[in-house]
Amino acid sequence: MNPAGPESSEAPRDDAALVLAIATRRDRAAFSALFARYAPRLKTWFLRSGTPADRAEDLAQETMLAVWRRADSYDPGRAAVAAWIFTIGRNQRIDALRRLARPLPDADDPSLAPSAPEAPDDVLDAARDEARLRAALRDLPPEQAEVVRLAYYEDRPHAEIERALGIPLGTVKSRLRLAMGRLRARLSQPASKGGAP
Amino acid sequence: MMREPTHHPADETLLRHAAGSLPAGSALVVAAHLEHCPRCRAAVRLGEAVGGVLLADCPETPLAQDALARSLARLEEPESRAPAPAAGAELAPGLALPTALRGLTDGRWRRVAPGIGRIRLDVPGARSGELVYLLRVAPGRRLPEHGHRGQEITCVLAGRFRDASGVYGPGDVAEMEAGADHQPSAEPGEACICLIATDGRLRMRGLLARALQPLVGV
Repeated sequence: MNPAGPESSEAPRDDAALVLAIATRRDRAAFSALFARYAPRLKTWFLRSGTPADRAEDLAQETMLAVWRRADSYDPGRAAVAAWIFTIGRNQRIDALRRLARPLPDADDPSLAPSAPEAPDDVLDAARDEARLRAALRDLPPEQAEVVRLAYYEDRPHAEIERALGIPLGTVKSRLRLAMGRLRARLSQPASKGGAP
Repeated sequence: MMREPTHHPADETLLRHAAGSLPAGSALVVAAHLEHCPRCRAAVRLGEAVGGVLLADCPETPLAQDALARSLARLEEPESRAPAPAAGAELAPGLALPTALRGLTDGRWRRVAPGIGRIRLDVPGARSGELVYLLRVAPGRRLPEHGHRGQEITCVLAGRFRDASGVYGPGDVAEMEAGADHQPSAEPGEACICLIATDGRLRMRGLLARALQPLVGV
């Protein structure tokens, strides 16, 4: 949760154009631009998730290859590009851990959704706006932001995280519940004051 | 179709599922729940959006100098992805295996005690000590009281069970903390089939329970 640079509110729109260029024209320059932006961040991500350095480099490349192959399945109406790439990278990492070329089924796969189609969701609509979500995350109290971050980077049970942070059992869980409630509340407000200040 | 579940995984569990940081067995249980729960699918998508922001804000770690060139050279390689496993086994007449479990079992139950059947699942990527299994409990049958050294997460696939915390039906998830005790029993009417992942051994209470310990295979 670094402070966003002045350019970061522009990036998401550019990213979507790059993915579109790959999907429609197999545009290698667009791929190179996305690679330059995301591959080094993916590598950091994998390293923080406990992946050894050489594997982190491979996984970053495999993720970007999957971005190229699946560009035509990217739906800007569902997710920001960064979130879409995040899920591809997450699944690449899980597949590698499981040594299986088969990820968990995509929970958004329509064939898995026997119940009614998803209702319009204000929170998710707002979360697609990366700048808005970043601002909402930045507004979390530090102790809530910390447990959110740990949920992403620490591949260990929260009981251990609690020991590491020196907080009582059950606190991580309740802090996370508060954090997610706060995020949802922020995102369901009208967009007028969304975005980076 | 199945009603929407009323007992959901904790926000923490859903967030860690979105992050990809759940143990493999727990992730399977959550995936089985998500197949029936639009509310939690939305929560996971919010978690994925958060993951996107965290990724975009990650500092950069340089790749090898030729990394981009090597990726560009591979762009037209065909993708080697195994086909999704076929639907296959049924767990009971008319009860299909959750999509998340396809390819993991042929659906053959092993009787481990009167009224209790079990299928152990060999989950790729599960860590040692992590145990994943399907349990089928006859209507009205009570399980021995037991405690948990590690966390346990359960998703009901059919029927209902009851413990001190309430009644759980199809799609519902129950999470037990390490150290908690409970004595679930199947509700009358229909056999209760659950998908269960535990992290750490169970502690059985009492002599009878210890005699039955092999039923969960630990």
